[in-house]
Amino acid sequence: MARNAAFAAIAIAALVAVPFVAPGAEYALDVLFLIFLYGAMATAWNLVGGLAGQVSFGHAAFLGIGAYATAIMTTNGVSLWITVPVSALLAGVYSLVIGIPAFRLRGPYFSIATIGIGEATRLIARNWSSLTGGVSGLTLSSAPPLLMQYFAALALLVAAVGLAAWIRASRFGYALAAVRQDTDAAETLGVATTVAKTQALFISACILGVAGSIYALHYLFVSPDSVFGFSTSIALVIMPIIGGLGTVTGPLIGAVIYTFIREQLAATLANVDLLAFGVLLIAIVVFEPRGVIGIVDRIRGIRKRRPVTVPDG
Amino acid sequence: MSYGLALIYGVLKIINLANAGFLMLGAYVTWWLFTAYHVDPLLAPLVIIPVFFLIGVGLERTLVRRVLGAEPIISLLLLFGVWLVLQNLAYVIWTGDTRSIENPFVESTVKFVGLQLSVPRLYVFAMGILSLIALQLFLTRTYLGRAIRATAQDRDAARLVGVDVDRVMGIAFGIGIALAGFGGSLLSLLFSFTPDFGRVLSLKSFCIVVLGGLDSIVGVAFGSVALAIAEAFGVRYMPASMQDLISFVVLVIVLVALPKGIVGTLRSLRRG
Repeated sequence: MARNAAFAAIAIAALVAVPFVAPGAEYALDVLFLIFLYGAMATAWNLVGGLAGQVSFGHAAFLGIGAYATAIMTTNGVSLWITVPVSALLAGVYSLVIGIPAFRLRGPYFSIATIGIGEATRLIARNWSSLTGGVSGLTLSSAPPLLMQYFAALALLVAAVGLAAWIRASRFGYALAAVRQDTDAAETLGVATTVAKTQALFISACILGVAGSIYALHYLFVSPDSVFGFSTSIALVIMPIIGGLGTVTGPLIGAVIYTFIREQLAATLANVDLLAFGVLLIAIVVFEPRGVIGIVDRIRGIRKRRPVTVPDG
Repeated sequence: MSYGLALIYGVLKIINLANAGFLMLGAYVTWWLFTAYHVDPLLAPLVIIPVFFLIGVGLERTLVRRVLGAEPIISLLLLFGVWLVLQNLAYVIWTGDTRSIENPFVESTVKFVGLQLSVPRLYVFAMGILSLIALQLFLTRTYLGRAIRATAQDRDAARLVGVDVDRVMGIAFGIGIALAGFGGSLLSLLFSFTPDFGRVLSLKSFCIVVLGGLDSIVGVAFGSVALAIAEAFGVRYMPASMQDLISFVVLVIVLVALPKGIVGTLRSLRRG
């Protein structure tokens, strides 16, 4: 644990130093910014989908609410210090509105309901033109400097990962793991499973709300099909699975792989990237459901010539 | 197409998210046969049903079987991956342009008791009913159909009485996929489509299947009618662009409020 913390501190220090060491490398900063943002979002998704085992296909809804809240408030001259927390909170409140009914469902049923919820949210955003600008979306007036965006995304990532690591080792984290393994048994042992799931979703949604804020301030444009789009929800599902479901570092690894593949393939032919992710997803699910983390564990196991120990999660 | 979903769910106890992909593929194959080889869209199912059946069986053998014992989430994710692959393959091959089938049949109408009715709609409706009857007969009157139902009820017990459960599951999956392709082919007569075609419709089928009760074939028919009525009424009170919203809302409400579906709820009401 101490080794992990030391490693994390070195990594953070290095990432903080990057913009000062290489001041002109805007493209590199941009890619790192995206990795931070995706990493934070994947970590947030993983709290619900990985730790608690409730796979959501509708997480774009929270990103979208954060992004729209920020777009609407900043164009009306509200300070960023108020805008960002309010965006997070709105996403959180929305998660309660949908989480309380949706968590009456379990496992696959919950997943299907989240597809419906995500799509319903997108359609509402498309049709509520007076607030959201309808299909054409909203344009923001001015962006904070790239350096500030970079540090904001890094701060969000550190906060999200720190929170995930802390939750995973806490009593709350054990409750979520119990929900994942056997909801009925957890209930019998006195875990308030619905409350735990709802709390996890709330935290997850708040992080995505902030991510939505940063997204809106970076791209200066939000539209229903970008932030609320189903492909955003898909990305959020894919990253933690590539990396390793329910682990702390898995979503980060997933975000790095996802961002690189996307940067490489998006330029070639539209949709080839998603095709690649589909193949990757099938391969991982069939051969190593624990993702990259699982593969690393296997390699380590071979090197040490001892049976692979399967860590819980 | 909803029947296929119910069948796969009932027998394998997995939710086939790839259904949307095969539905879309069915529509595209119909269109492609029509534009490239001038095959009548009405004959396309003759090709689609056997080919899709084989694809389904193959898919079950190679991929689905490996994850059957795992948590339900794993199979859900696997089929989600299959769907991603199908959908984006379609984008790469056929691009995202909207396609539609245009021939005299598709535009024809008949007058019936003073009502102007669209012929393809009537045809699709009739085929839907026919396939429902055929499936019901197959499931109740043939050995294989009974074996499928037995496997759906209790896999281990079916194995005990001598059903080749592995084979039955492969066939059931194949039939499910074939029905999705058939459904897609039929729908291509009514609507224009893109590679994203299946998504909304597939959610609707989930809605229908859940409305009807996840493992009841007759329930599926009830479900379709109920959803169609809800949509038709909904359109009167809100813009057409919100029509799909109704299905999603109905889906979520039904999942939460009536997890056993209409048939299941009626059944337990009668008992209790």
